Amino acid sequence: MSKPSFHKLAPNVIKVWQWSNSISNLFFLAIPIAYAFFFGYSGLHLWFIIGSGLLVTVFWILSIAWIPFLSWKNWRYSINQKEIDLKHGILFKTRTLIPLSRVQHVDTRQGPLLRTYKLSSVTISTAATTHEIPGLDTILADRVRRQISTYARLAEDDV
Amino acid sequence: MSEFERQHPVAAVSRAFGLIRGNIVTILVFLFVGAQSDNFPFLWWIGGLFIFLLIIGAANWWRFLYKMDGDTLHIRSGIFVRKDLYLTKDRIQVIDISSGVIQRLFGLVRLDIQTAGATSRQAAIDAITKVKAMEINRVLRDIHSDPGEFGQVSEEIGISDSDVLKKLDLPHKELLIAASTSGSFGIALSVLATIFSQIEPLISESEMFEYLFSIIPSQTDAVMIGITIFIFIAFAWLLSFFSTLFTYGNFKLIVKEKEIIISRGIFEKKRVTIPYNRIQAIHVSEGLIRQPLGYASIHLESAGYGDEKGTGSIVLFPLIRRTNIIQLLNDVLPDYEKEMPGIKPPSRALRRYIFKSSFPITIVTGVLFWYLSLNLWIWLIPIGSLFWGWLKYKDAALAWGEDILLFRSRQLSKSTAYIKKKRVQDAIIFQNVFQRYRNLCSVQIHVASGDRGKSFMVDDLEYDEGIRLLNAVRKNGISAENRIPEETLNKIQVPGWI
Repeated sequence: MSKPSFHKLAPNVIKVWQWSNSISNLFFLAIPIAYAFFFGYSGLHLWFIIGSGLLVTVFWILSIAWIPFLSWKNWRYSINQKEIDLKHGILFKTRTLIPLSRVQHVDTRQGPLLRTYKLSSVTISTAATTHEIPGLDTILADRVRRQISTYARLAEDDV
Repeated sequence: MSEFERQHPVAAVSRAFGLIRGNIVTILVFLFVGAQSDNFPFLWWIGGLFIFLLIIGAANWWRFLYKMDGDTLHIRSGIFVRKDLYLTKDRIQVIDISSGVIQRLFGLVRLDIQTAGATSRQAAIDAITKVKAMEINRVLRDIHSDPGEFGQVSEEIGISDSDVLKKLDLPHKELLIAASTSGSFGIALSVLATIFSQIEPLISESEMFEYLFSIIPSQTDAVMIGITIFIFIAFAWLLSFFSTLFTYGNFKLIVKEKEIIISRGIFEKKRVTIPYNRIQAIHVSEGLIRQPLGYASIHLESAGYGDEKGTGSIVLFPLIRRTNIIQLLNDVLPDYEKEMPGIKPPSRALRRYIFKSSFPITIVTGVLFWYLSLNLWIWLIPIGSLFWGWLKYKDAALAWGEDILLFRSRQLSKSTAYIKKKRVQDAIIFQNVFQRYRNLCSVQIHVASGDRGKSFMVDDLEYDEGIRLLNAVRKNGISAENRIPEETLNKIQVPGWI
């Protein structure tokens, strides 16, 4: 068995993650705000609000300054004629193996953020699950998509 | 039959009932909300709703047309948006003929047509005479299969005897045990609670309560509550007992060359045909009550094929003695390898199992105990959860044979799943920080099931075994290096039913 050759995502995906995290994690601020709204801020409640507010803020900063880098460092993908192999996760490491004969369709997607950085994500669907390679250069993503669909067609096909 | 035809008018009624059954939760919620307001009586709500559904049913019936055009079945339906559905002979996978209570009153049947695509699962003619159903069946099936197949139709609707390899029945004793240990108990309890919340105002306003209080010698509140709970549970149990009895009465499993036919039901007859090449996995489930009695139920997962909810789980056999499982599987699925060497989690995983199942429960119990100042006996629950963790550890196992994987694990009931390797959609190994520290991993695979997938998982195996599983899934056939070595420490023989 030859060692699978793993690739990394495009470095620009870090910026995409930073932007999307900075927006989406802002909503966690709603927790202390809602708490203050319901219970007021007197005595013990105030401490709880300050504490949770601090936690949320620290998490928000980390989710911009640190987590995207770690996430990028931990992301690997490999595609060959038999299978797709994905590795990711920081604290919770995941390794996914998708036999190519099971792939039903592949598509590339591009939201506004990804488009700004000329990236695309590749989505791989089987009859049961959907997996994503989150950020590749658009040209590379198209090549990966074509590669997977060619391989998938070659692999024997029954459900 | 080249003219468009309507169904029998009974379709309108059966459609209305189908809508009620499909939206039972929404309806209950509406009733619950509706009954809160005083100026709009409860009965009006029910009556109005029923009439409304009847009108919808009738409109559906009026706008539903079908005709046979050569070898194509053409269905035109939809009240406002007209939908034309063409079912050609060579795309049709399975035709099922069944009959519910309403249909049977009028000597009608229901025709379900399954194609390979997932979207046309709804292709069904609700009420049609048996003769016409047989004719459609014949036209759509005849060239596919040998002409003799539907030549002689036995008493059972639509099942011919020609290529039946084996017939299995559920004995009465097993049916009764299945009904009395049925897991739908919880659902029955919640339905009862809703109904009770509806009629509770009626009862409490009447003199019944006072009457009851007068005949029952003065009791403490605790005893009254205890009695109420007991009555509730008894009712829920009866409800689930009879619903299981009616669902799985007349159970028949028919094994044919290329397909399995399951027919069941006392009032509402159901018949499911599963072609062998659609079966994705089988899993045997041993419930908490059933396992000590030595019983289990067998389920199977099938692709692109399922009930209204889109899951592909089908009960292959509702209840069977543990010692007979392998025998039955050999009869129905001879090409599955049943017994093989497997691996269990190493002993250092035991503490993780026990911790994971007891920790949250202990915290919750502690908080409740503190705030509600509960009885000391409540601490039996966390103690029980320690045992539960140990059970989970004991039942976890993973094995693979020539072309098959076996996942055994326990949530509440113990589940043993057989999955053909070529049916595996993906294989995943997880490692969180603590698992990495102990060099353990959790493994999970997905198979197709209905519209979605179903996953099977085993926690806290040796990391190397996880990698070996990935390699086993990766290769076609298992090479020597992926076999479970003779000298492996945590080796066990699975499934271990005998």
